[in-house]
Amino acid sequence: MYSPTGEVLRELSPRGREDWDALERTRFFRRALEDGRIVPTEELEPGLLRHERLPFVSYPYEWPFEMLREAALLQLSLLGEALEEGFVLKDGSPYNVQWRGSQPVFVDVGSFERLREGEPWAGYRQFCALFLYPLMLQAYRGVAPQPLLRGSLEGIEPSQARALLPRFRRGVLTHVVLHDRLEARHADRQRDVRSELKKAGFKKELIQANVRGLQKLVTRLSPKRGRSEWAGYREAAPYSNEDADRKERFVRSAGPSQLAWDLGANDGRFARALDAGYVLALDGDERVVGELYASLRAEGSKTILPLVVDLADASPDRGWRGVERRRLEERGRPDLVLCLALVHHLAIGRNVPFAELVAWLRGLGARVVIEFADREDPMVARLLAAKREEVHEGYGREGFERALREGFDVTRSEELASGTRTLYLATPKQ
Amino acid sequence: MAPVSYLDAGSGSMLLQIVLGGVAAIGVTAKMTWRRVLRTLRIRRDDDDVTES
Repeated sequence: MYSPTGEVLRELSPRGREDWDALERTRFFRRALEDGRIVPTEELEPGLLRHERLPFVSYPYEWPFEMLREAALLQLSLLGEALEEGFVLKDGSPYNVQWRGSQPVFVDVGSFERLREGEPWAGYRQFCALFLYPLMLQAYRGVAPQPLLRGSLEGIEPSQARALLPRFRRGVLTHVVLHDRLEARHADRQRDVRSELKKAGFKKELIQANVRGLQKLVTRLSPKRGRSEWAGYREAAPYSNEDADRKERFVRSAGPSQLAWDLGANDGRFARALDAGYVLALDGDERVVGELYASLRAEGSKTILPLVVDLADASPDRGWRGVERRRLEERGRPDLVLCLALVHHLAIGRNVPFAELVAWLRGLGARVVIEFADREDPMVARLLAAKREEVHEGYGREGFERALREGFDVTRSEELASGTRTLYLATPKQ
Repeated sequence: MAPVSYLDAGSGSMLLQIVLGGVAAIGVTAKMTWRRVLRTLRIRRDDDDVTES
């Protein structure tokens, strides 16, 4: 897919070429290209397409509920429009959706094909496994699906969904229970259901009715979430407005960047303050990221991508030989990293030594804005109170600064008015 | 993006799509049931269902 120069190219098979020629002439395709729902695509030569490169690739196991739902609705609306003009999507995968900030973009142009007479939607099962069941799991059970999606790139099987979901909630009896029963019953039968359907006159109106039903169902799903440690953190945290403003000014003084990572982004205040071409706003709390996404979507932001990432357990390399879905660092390196109100959580909460954290940051090769909170800081005191006394004896500013200077040159530092927190602007040592 | 670009929907998922087809599915269900009845009564042979390709 990628050329040596970093272009995103797609070579079409002979059948794919015919589909492309027909697709290019459809109204829905042009419309979706114009309004940005499909990735900008041009034909370089017959059978060779070039797609615009989106700022950063992300995966469904890094999206909060709101993003997965939005991606599902994009997939369904494109499928509905495609059917009107005799096209279908041959799969139903969230991996075909990427983001331009808060706007979902469908990237797999090769997934559109001319609808063959009498054939059902081949991507329906995949849509259930990777979109519908994960959404239902969170909406009906309050279980966040990201760990499951990360564990299996194929998503949740109908039999698993049946065991996990309550039977009498909207859509479960058909899309889950009946789906599993039919699948189990027909698993080892040799009958050619495809041709049977065709002969019985299966037509696109059936797919259209299914798509409409799914659109209604997915739209109505809303996330059920338990207690969140981080939601509303900004209001609850014992920082003065003055400190927050100083922090914002300090962040701005870090200067412009192409790609910035805001680690522990919370409500995105500092991600918004950055002068960056694109920002990844990472946070481990699914609810916080969901709320951030909703506000960015309402603002129409196209430069901040919020993702659910727990830094102490971040996305690994996945798929065939570990190269199909890459870990975060392999998908694009930042040139600026914000690390605000984070060190104490990693060091105390997750037992990550300072030296380890600094080595990882150094490996990113970007300048960092990093905040350190002393033992006397109320938030740190609260974290320490939950631990045995001797465990984090070494936690202190001196040890942190020593570790930081191993990998970085500190170009600026500023103590906040609270007296317990310090900000550093640091560039990686050559 | 997916490495396997052609999915096999699976027989169960295909049949379910009739159920999910709403009103449009009535005719299809009737016709399919009728064909199965004929086949059970051996008025129609299984061979008739082999797709011509």
